[in-house]
Amino acid sequence: MSEKLQQIINKQHKSLAGDDTKIEEVIQLVGFIVGDEEFSVPILSIQEIIKPISWTRVPQTPPYILGVFNLRGSVIPLIDLRSRFGLEVMKHTEDTRFIVMKNGDDVAGFVIDRLTEAIRLPKRDVGPAPETISTEESMIDGVGKQADRIVTILKVRKLLERNF
Amino acid sequence: MDEFQEILQDFLIESFELIEQLDQDLVELESRPDDLDLLNRIFRVAHTIKGASSFLNFDVLTHLTHHMENLLNMARHGDLEIEPNVMDVILESIDLMKALLVRIRDSGEDSGLEISGCVARLDAVANGETGAPAEAPKVPEPEPVAVVAAAKSDDEPDYSAMSDAEVEAEIERLLAVRQAEDAAKRSVKHESKPQTEEEIDYENLSDAEVEAEIERLLAIRQAEDAAKRAAKGGSSAPAAQPASVPEPKVQPAPEPKAAPAPVAASTPPPVPAAAPKPAAAPAPRKTEPKEDGENRGGAAVEQTIRVDVKRLDHLMNLIGELVLGKNRLIKINDDVEERYEGEAFLEELNQVVSIVSLVTTDLQIAVMKTRMLPIGKVFNKFPRMIRDLSRELNKKIELEITGEDTELDKSIVEEIGDPLVHIIRNSCDHGIETPQVRLAAGKEETGTIRLKAYHEGNHIVIQIIDDGKGLDIEMLKSKSVEKGIITEKEADMMSEKEAFGLIFRPGFSTAAQVTSVSGRGVGMDVVKTNIEKLNGMIDIDSELGQGTSMKLKIPLTLAIIQALLVGVQEEYYAIPLASVLETVRISKDEIYTVESRSVMRLRDEVLSLVHIGDIFEVERVFDNNEHAYVVVLGLAESKIGLIVDSLVGQEEIVIKSLGEYLKGIEGIAGATIRGDGGVTLIVDVAALMQMAKSVKSTVGQENNEKKGRSGSKNSASDYCVMIVDDSKTDRTIMRKSIEPLGITLIEATDGVEALNILKQGDHNFDAMLIDIEMPRMDGYTLAAEIKKYNKYKNMPLIAVTSRNGKADRMRGVESGMVEYITKPYSPEYLMNVVKRNIKFNEGL
Repeated sequence: MSEKLQQIINKQHKSLAGDDTKIEEVIQLVGFIVGDEEFSVPILSIQEIIKPISWTRVPQTPPYILGVFNLRGSVIPLIDLRSRFGLEVMKHTEDTRFIVMKNGDDVAGFVIDRLTEAIRLPKRDVGPAPETISTEESMIDGVGKQADRIVTILKVRKLLERNF
Repeated sequence: MDEFQEILQDFLIESFELIEQLDQDLVELESRPDDLDLLNRIFRVAHTIKGASSFLNFDVLTHLTHHMENLLNMARHGDLEIEPNVMDVILESIDLMKALLVRIRDSGEDSGLEISGCVARLDAVANGETGAPAEAPKVPEPEPVAVVAAAKSDDEPDYSAMSDAEVEAEIERLLAVRQAEDAAKRSVKHESKPQTEEEIDYENLSDAEVEAEIERLLAIRQAEDAAKRAAKGGSSAPAAQPASVPEPKVQPAPEPKAAPAPVAASTPPPVPAAAPKPAAAPAPRKTEPKEDGENRGGAAVEQTIRVDVKRLDHLMNLIGELVLGKNRLIKINDDVEERYEGEAFLEELNQVVSIVSLVTTDLQIAVMKTRMLPIGKVFNKFPRMIRDLSRELNKKIELEITGEDTELDKSIVEEIGDPLVHIIRNSCDHGIETPQVRLAAGKEETGTIRLKAYHEGNHIVIQIIDDGKGLDIEMLKSKSVEKGIITEKEADMMSEKEAFGLIFRPGFSTAAQVTSVSGRGVGMDVVKTNIEKLNGMIDIDSELGQGTSMKLKIPLTLAIIQALLVGVQEEYYAIPLASVLETVRISKDEIYTVESRSVMRLRDEVLSLVHIGDIFEVERVFDNNEHAYVVVLGLAESKIGLIVDSLVGQEEIVIKSLGEYLKGIEGIAGATIRGDGGVTLIVDVAALMQMAKSVKSTVGQENNEKKGRSGSKNSASDYCVMIVDDSKTDRTIMRKSIEPLGITLIEATDGVEALNILKQGDHNFDAMLIDIEMPRMDGYTLAAEIKKYNKYKNMPLIAVTSRNGKADRMRGVESGMVEYITKPYSPEYLMNVVKRNIKFNEGL
């Protein structure tokens, strides 16, 4: 009996230790769909995710900037990721969400087609962005490989950077 | 260390406050060199700073202030006359003192600035070298310092007389003799005064003999000082003399109060007996506070507390949120009122809402007031500036300041300084003429610049008026044409006010040459930009030869403002009310087109117009209104008419920034959150006026454009009609009837669905066929809903129904249907009705 108990304890220790090492290496992402592709951003760069609310158009801005909206008293820009990525603009559906991302003091809301899931990805499974995309200009931070799919990790800093 | 820092901070704050007052006092001193009050005050500043800096180990500063104190002390005791050249040295030393204080503030130490030159000059003046050589010998010599001064200056006049011009020496000598006589006469007068004083003393004596004794001694001492002072006053003294007469009278009263304070019995002998310097230090302290107290009454009792501006800003932000909450509450209250009319709880809700809104408004005003500063803070530096400028430009200029107590927000006080400096400089340089010219023009030799501040509603008005040569409109125009700022044609068309406005154009300058004061054509441009930043207005008035008046009208605060909400199509914008002069409703016929710009006649003015939709790229779908609203905007010195679709009303709004990402969008000053929680953009009037110049106006061309649009239907399928009916059969019948035309048909099964299709805006519908009886939303309601959309206001709605009562028809017309077709109908009939309503072009 005690041998069995010992085994279990050992096993638990092992798995615990294993978890520890994993936590160090794992990155947590939130995945979402824009167009046909799945993208993700680090979970810590997300302030909140809300259902679509009304916004106000701001003139003299590129088409992908839908305008500004009121998030509990703060006026926050709203950016349509579909048109930011050069995809055809689509009507908002039941699944459409605003992801409010932040980087330091910069905050903006992004319209996405649909959320997928929170992703835990070991760091070693994250590869660099394809070489054909120049590293500085690109909005892609890297590519996460999972068993059955590939997730593009976006650079939040770049998304929040004004480029007009 | 922290404690030291704290003391240092206090020291710096106090010093800068003292210095601010100092500049003004010094300039005043020059015109009233005998004002003992002023002298005492100035002396006290030097003394206070010296004391504190020595305690804080700022040796350089201590050294400098010590010498200043010396000099001022002599002046205070009448051993030195305040002349312009003495003043120059004093002002120089004060500038140096300021520089030192700034250094201390920035780096924490006072080294690195060369003060020895200034100290030497101070000493030189103190010793009478550059001061008043001729008068020095006449100084009675009750004290060692004066003896030295006298001795030194005794030598001086000889040298100067010999080396320079003998005539001058002669004049000086004569003057000196004359002054000596004057002095003698005056001291005789004074001798009688101490006696009257003594009489007053005897009255006091009944109270306390010791005090009376001090009193008497002090009075004598004062009389001596006054005599010395009189002796030096020279020719300017007679005027000042009467002023000094009341002085001794004033003194006795306060003196008894002062004396007991520093341990009365023990001090009397040293006060009068001691050499003037040690005595001087305590003396002003005693007399000053008393006089302050007398003049200002409760000022000393007033309790103040220093608060970090950041905390006030934070408080202001919180109030802003509260105001938004209040707006929202009011809106909800209105909605609730509408829905539950007559219910008992409404009354209660109403009361609560009005109390909350009242308190919020009061709170906002209270916090705003804590941020208010008197504009005197800014005005204080101008006397000194005028003095320097008039010396530099060889003009005689007097500055009159009124309303320096007028208060306005701290942030505005900070912004207003620069524009005022430029305007006043401009007035000195270009406005006021030289004394010769003025005399020739039959004006007084001395020019006057008046600086006025007063409140006007929610604004503060600052007026700068000079009695100089005024603005020459023809000259302004020709200069502007010359510099390529405007074309000759523009110059011809300009009104007087517009021509005055030319002085604000960048690059404009009337000065023939660039001086250190002006002529670069930058200054007034800065004025305009800064005033615009504050949402202020500038109004210039000028009469050639009589002078110029410039009126700056600035809102009291920046964070929470009154705004006019306007609508254009489906969008709303907030325009700061401070920039709105008026709103007018005009018919489209009143809009004229002049050289491809829209203009209108507003009373006796021609106002250029711009449509808000053109500025903010609003898609104008329908605009068939015969009337338009024009919001007349005024900013700085320009005006423009902004055409909007509707006026929503006035509301208090809190300005919020659009954030880093959307910063600097042209024409948008920020955003605010409305009562319904939506975001409304705030118009940047200054930018809008700029944009209006380049925007191609479409106001007059709407109709053509619309014709062009309908003409742009190149094929039958470009026409689009929606069929709304709950019965599949009916829809099919309608489809079959119209299909031969080849136009696009969209179907909806009820009102709700139809409305959704409209909202999506995927199609541009030319007409709608609507059944009246439908589930969820019937035809009448649908029609009424559709008419709420600006975009679809003019879309023909055709009722197709089996109801044929007269009342039904009436209801149809009321809800906005243009045609009423009763079932059954022939396919041809329906087709013709549709064709007529969509203006179908058979040629396609």
